[in-house]
Parts: sequence; C-alpha cells; structure tokens
Amino acid sequence: MALKYELKQKEVWDGNMAAAHALRQAQVDVVAAYPITPSTPIVQNYAQFLADGYVDGEFVMVESEHSAMSACVGAAAAGGRVATATSSQGYALMVEVLYQASGMRLPIVMTVVNRALASPLNIHGDHSDLYLGRDAGWIHLIANNPQEAYDMTLCAFKIGEDERVRLPVTTNQDGFLVSHTAQVVKPLDDDTAYKFIGEYKPKYPMLDTKNPVTYGAQTEEEWHFEHKANQHKALMDSPAVIKEVFDEFEKVSGRKYNLVETYKLDDADVALVLMGSAYETAMLAVDKAREEGIKVGLLMPRVFRPFPYNEVAQKLKNVKAIAALDRSMPMGTTGALYNEVAGALAANGQSAIMTNYIYGLGGRDTTVEHILEVIRETEKNAKAGKRVTDLQGFINLRGPKLSFN
Amino acid sequence: MATPKEMLTDWDKVQFGAVLPAFEDPEHKKRSKFHSYNYSVADWRVEKPVFNRELCIDCDFCWVSCPDSCFIVEEVVTKRGKKQAKIVGINYNLCKGCGVCVEVCPTPIKSLLMFPEYVDNEEALKQWPKKDK
Amino acid sequence: MKKIGSLKEFACTPDRFQGGHRLCPGCAHSMIVREVVNATDDDLVISTATGCLEVCSAIYPYTSWDVSWIHVGFENAAATISGAEAMYKALSRKNKLYNEDRRVKFVAFGGDGGTYDIGFQSLSGAAERGHDFLYVCLDNENYANTGGQRSSATPLGAHTSTTPRGRVSYGKKQKKKDLTMIMAAHGCPYVATAIPSTKHWKDLATKAAKAISTVGPTFINALSPCTTEWKFKPEETTEIADLAVETCAFPLYEIEDGHKLKITYRPKVKLPIEDYLSRQGRFSHLFKPENKWIIEEWQKQVDEYWDYLQRREEAGV
Repeated sequence: MALKYELKQKEVWDGNMAAAHALRQAQVDVVAAYPITPSTPIVQNYAQFLADGYVDGEFVMVESEHSAMSACVGAAAAGGRVATATSSQGYALMVEVLYQASGMRLPIVMTVVNRALASPLNIHGDHSDLYLGRDAGWIHLIANNPQEAYDMTLCAFKIGEDERVRLPVTTNQDGFLVSHTAQVVKPLDDDTAYKFIGEYKPKYPMLDTKNPVTYGAQTEEEWHFEHKANQHKALMDSPAVIKEVFDEFEKVSGRKYNLVETYKLDDADVALVLMGSAYETAMLAVDKAREEGIKVGLLMPRVFRPFPYNEVAQKLKNVKAIAALDRSMPMGTTGALYNEVAGALAANGQSAIMTNYIYGLGGRDTTVEHILEVIRETEKNAKAGKRVTDLQGFINLRGPKLSFN
Repeated sequence: MATPKEMLTDWDKVQFGAVLPAFEDPEHKKRSKFHSYNYSVADWRVEKPVFNRELCIDCDFCWVSCPDSCFIVEEVVTKRGKKQAKIVGINYNLCKGCGVCVEVCPTPIKSLLMFPEYVDNEEALKQWPKKDK
Repeated sequence: MKKIGSLKEFACTPDRFQGGHRLCPGCAHSMIVREVVNATDDDLVISTATGCLEVCSAIYPYTSWDVSWIHVGFENAAATISGAEAMYKALSRKNKLYNEDRRVKFVAFGGDGGTYDIGFQSLSGAAERGHDFLYVCLDNENYANTGGQRSSATPLGAHTSTTPRGRVSYGKKQKKKDLTMIMAAHGCPYVATAIPSTKHWKDLATKAAKAISTVGPTFINALSPCTTEWKFKPEETTEIADLAVETCAFPLYEIEDGHKLKITYRPKVKLPIEDYLSRQGRFSHLFKPENKWIIEEWQKQVDEYWDYLQRREEAGV
C-alpha cells in the first residue's frame, strides 16, 4: 500500500508540483511518460513520490512521447487508470496516438504544460500545442494557475472516466508562467481527493482475458463516419457531466468552476476572450480600465473542447465589441479562439464587433499595460458601432506595426 | 469488402470505441457475430482442397501449415492414453484454396487434392488416383 | 512452459487465431501466428503493428482473434504491449486483477516494416526496459501491406516496388539488416529465428513456448515467405521457407542471455543459394549474366554468416 502524503492546508507549489500531486492522489495504475521542458518536473516529482513509497502503480519511463502515449493506450485498454504529462514537441510527437486514444474511448489523463512549437525552437509558454490537439477528440480543460492545475487534474479523471463520457482529457497550464511559478495551493487530503475521483470503472478491459476483446479494428468507408459521429456525440454531450463534476468538486473543495468563466462581464460593453495565465493579467487590466470608465469584462472557456459555444454566446449577448486573444500563431487566418467565438455568436444571431489579437508567443511578456491597450482599442469599436481597428493585431511585437484586415 | 447487410448498424448503434468482443458466450467459447470465424471467404476460391479420410495418416501437417485454420480436428485418445488430433474435415467457409495443405500432405497417394470449385466432393473422391496394383 | 510434444498432440490445441481473416491465400503470417499463440496455454494479450496481419485480422465488424488484441499504429506495437504489461503488473500489485486464476502473457507481432524500421525505436525501448513480453517479427522482407516497398529487411538484389529492377538497376543495393543479433545485443534473455514449415514446426513452436515462458523481453524473427511480393505460387510457401533454411540464407538458431548461441538446425548438405533465389520472381533478374556477381556476393555473404554462427556456437559466446 502506498504511503499517505501528509499535506498542509496550504502548500506552496508550482503548477508542475500541483499536477504531480493530483496524479499521485488519483492512484494512477500506469503512468508512462517522457520528460520534456517545461513539464519535466511533473515526471520527476512523480518519480520521487514513487521512490519514496507514495505510489503503488507502475511508472514506465519510455524512450519517446510517441511511445509514452502508445503505452498509455495499451495500459488503458488493458483496463486501469492511466496518465501522462507532456509539452510542445512531445505533444506533437504524440498527436497520431491522441486520435487513437479518443477513438478507442480510453479515459487517459494528460497534464499538458503548454509550450511553443518549433521552428524556431522555443521552450516557453504559448498555446500552439493545445491548438494542435484540438481536433483530436480529447476534452481540453484550462488552468490559469497552480491551484487550478491541481483542481483540473483531479476533475479530469472523474470527467473522462464517467461512463457517459469515456474520453481522454488534457489539463492545460502555461509553460513556466504557471508550471514554474510557485503559489499557494490548497490541496485536498489524499483520502478526500481519491474519494472524489472514485475507483476506476473498467470497460472492455483486455486483461479480462476470459472475455477477450479486439481494440483498433479497421473501419473503412462503410463504417468510419458512423464511428466518428458516435464519438463526436459523446464529446458534445460531455458538458453535462463536466458541470456535474465541477459541482461535486465545489462540495469537497469550496472552489467553483464553470464551463465558461467570466470576470466583471455582467454590465460590460467590451469583452476580452482569452485563456491561460494571461486571464489573470487581464483581470488586473480590467480593474484599471474600469477606473478609466471603460465597462469591460472577461470571458474564458474553461473547457476548450468541447467548445461551450452556446454558453459563450449567452454570456456575450450584451457586449458591443469583443477582442479574442490567441496565444498561438494561426498561420494564415484568424486565431482559433476568434473563430470559435465568432462562430458561437453567428450561430446565435449575435453581431458584436469582433477583433483578434495574437500575443505571448514563445513566452513573450504580456503585461497589464498591453492588455489595457487592447481594451482601449476594443472600446473604440464599441463606441463607433462598427470595426474601426484592425481585424488582427499583435501585442508586444517588436518592429513596424503588423496588422491584417 | 462489403459488410453483410444484417451486420450494418447506424451511427448510434456501432460498437463502443469500435471494440469487438470475441465471444458471445465466453464460458462455452461461443464466438460472437463479430468473429471472422462466422464470416466466409469461400468466394476467394477457384479450386478447393478435397480431403480423403481413407488415405489420411493424421500427421497433421495440413493442420499446422494451414494459414486459414480450416482443418477440423477431433481429439481422440490412444490406447496408451495419449491425446491425438484426428483430421475430420475442412471448413470451407474459411478455406481460400491456397493449396498449401495438398503440397505438404506426405501420403504416397495424397489424402488432399485440389479440385475445381464446382466439382462435388463425392465426385472428387471417385476421381481419386488409385494405388498401382 | 507448455511442453511441445508430437504434432498429433500439438494439433489438439484449440486455435486462438481463427480463419475468415483476409490474409492472402498461402500467407505465411498466419501459419506463424497460429503456432505462436498455440504454443502456450496461458491467456494472451496481443498487440500488432500496422501491417498485413493487422489489416487483415481486424476489419470491422470482424475480428479473427480469440484472445485480447490491440492495434494502435505502425511504429508502436512494442510500446503498446509494454503499457498493457505494466497495467498487469500494477493491478497484480494492487490485488485488482480481473481473473486471479489466470496467468496472462504478452505478445507483440509486427512485420519487418513495423519491426526493423519504423517500430525499431519502440521495440528497442521496450526491450531495454525489460518488460515481460515476446515480440515476433513476421519478416517478409518488404512492406507487403502497401504494395511491396523495400525495407531494411529486404535482401540484396531483391526487386521491390521502391527498388525496382530496371535498365540500370538490379534491385536493392543494400543487404539485410541483422535484427536478430541487434536484439540479442539488447541483452534479451531469449532471441531466436524461425520459419513456418512442416519440417521445422517443432522448432518454431518450441521457441515460441520457450520465449513466452521466459521472464523478460524475448524476440523471435520469423521468416515469412510472401507469395504476393516474392512472386511464388501460394502453395509453395513452406517449401520456400525450407529452402531459406537449407541454403542457410536464413539459418535457424537461438541466443540465450544475449550471448549463448545455439544453431537449432544444420542442413545435411548446404544447398547453393541459387536454389532459393531461383524460386522467387523478385530475384529472377539476378540470373541475367550481368548480375551474376550479385548471386556470387549473396553466396559469399551466406557462407560467411553461416561460418560466423558456427564459430560463435563453438566458442560459446
């Protein structure tokens, strides 16, 4: 039996330590992983827990991220709780297998520490890896700070393993800004955390060899569409379960999470949509802007997939102008968050003026002042009743002004 | 390879995760409708092997080298109490007519021979080569 | 370890890999697979790399497997099975096994593409980590599933769809990679070569039984003559495999603990390599006068390798 870890009511953890403790408390049966900056400490911390007797499960240090996710799929299909951690290039190497995990409906949990994608190489935080995996059939939860990284990881197991869902889940935190920034985290004690997640409930386990099953059959043109539709339905239906899990989590932790988080949005004319650590920076900017008399609020999809488009539209129905901030270079179009929000509004007959900002790539600083500038620009659109600023702008980019219309 | 009509299901009735259980009744080893054992590849054949039980010495070479697990085996117990496999027939649903079994059959007059698909097995047995007297 | 006695006895084993699959008529893959899965009475969990076996044995809504089976990708059969094996260990430690009364063994199958080439890293990693599994390479010396492209297992001079013979080409210019020895060099406790053959059925079944019962990563490289891409008649599959052994083009041997080499079959009279090459369409161009040197080179390599094996066996290293 694994030893219980004596935790204080308040711990000072960075996002990596928070995620590692959540994995430990979930009593994961198999963790298969390959270290990569900036998620490496998750793997190292977990290894130390194992070395100190706090973990009963298997810890498989594979030779690549591709093998990490492959081993996770093999382990999950075998029939037990499975998790891993990765970032960036490692995430990219896993992509092929991410689709396999979701298609086989295996509730693997992956704690992702978001980082830029090469080339050129960069080890710092942005959302390129998250966006790379957005169509892979996983649920993607967003955490803005170490506390949320911990909380979302616990919730991820309960959501993914629910028999109504049975899908893999990533939890996302910004590289370095969250993963390596120590803050106060209030953890649950080991028993409470495990009780919240619950025992793993197997479905078609390969190790039940009395009932042999085949995973990974080939479905050609007669079948593939039906299978993908079935899987998509499970993902589209999952918000009901996500809400339930968030409600239950509130009961044990006192912390309330929602499909869509907002800040001072109720009376706002101007809204910023963004996710990740910059959301917290933006909160400070909103406070300042309100001192300037700008009625501005924030919105963040806590769940990036399935994208809560109706909830997003509902929350934004009274705003006049919206700026969607994407922390990834969309390469040839507007950012993913812009597209999602614009689609959500269009689907609901709403016509707030929308603009797109690209920011924070490769760990580029985004300060309160930068966001204030965005708020002021967006307010111009609100006031004019039409778009008078650029469609796509770039925050804190050095050199002559770059913009697209 | 078209799926037989009775097996086609709608998007809301497909197997969860495309997972296929091998058995309908695992305890009695009753294979499920998803098992290829219940599928037929007989239409791949233009020639079929015909089995002549009278000439067979149960060396089981055909059983071990058949790529399609076609040879139907009956377990018999010898006087010394040893388990032995007796070849009793061919599952023509599974046979693709490759002819390996005929090739490896070691009896002086082969106990397996290829015949055109349309020739009736009883007729084939009548046409079997005879021993020189 | 399952005792492999007479074939009459072995044939009483209920098949766990069934027909109705879509492998080519006369395919050696299924001959090998049947022998391997029948060589143990333990329960099995199997992973299979993308390739002929995978594509043909699990076409939805059908499966040919009576055992638990998974296919994930081309390059990760070993990583996948290592995950399943890790889960078995974890559940065993936590007293959460599904069937306490059954012992489960782990086997991975891959073609030479999934083993020698794209899946090599995954195999090397899983072997180094010491997972308890058997990896069987179904070596048909080309990417048969996708139309016969060259692999690093394709031998010298072979025509493949990406090393075609032509006016200025004699086929593949490189020799076959020696994967069996590379796996032995990993320190795997058991490594062997095998063929599907009535003459050598027991060699394969015994090696499979041994490999499965050996704790740790084990490897069998099974030559799988490919009627479609090697261009011979479907009924000749086992005969071609026998010729590979009788000419020493593919010698049968085993290596224990990474170094103890034992030749498991010695041809009474080593046949000339032409006897093997001439039976396969992929080598037919080698018999043109201008390509005679390739056959000579083949013979030289075969002789040298056979000599090397014998000397290693004698020296006990």
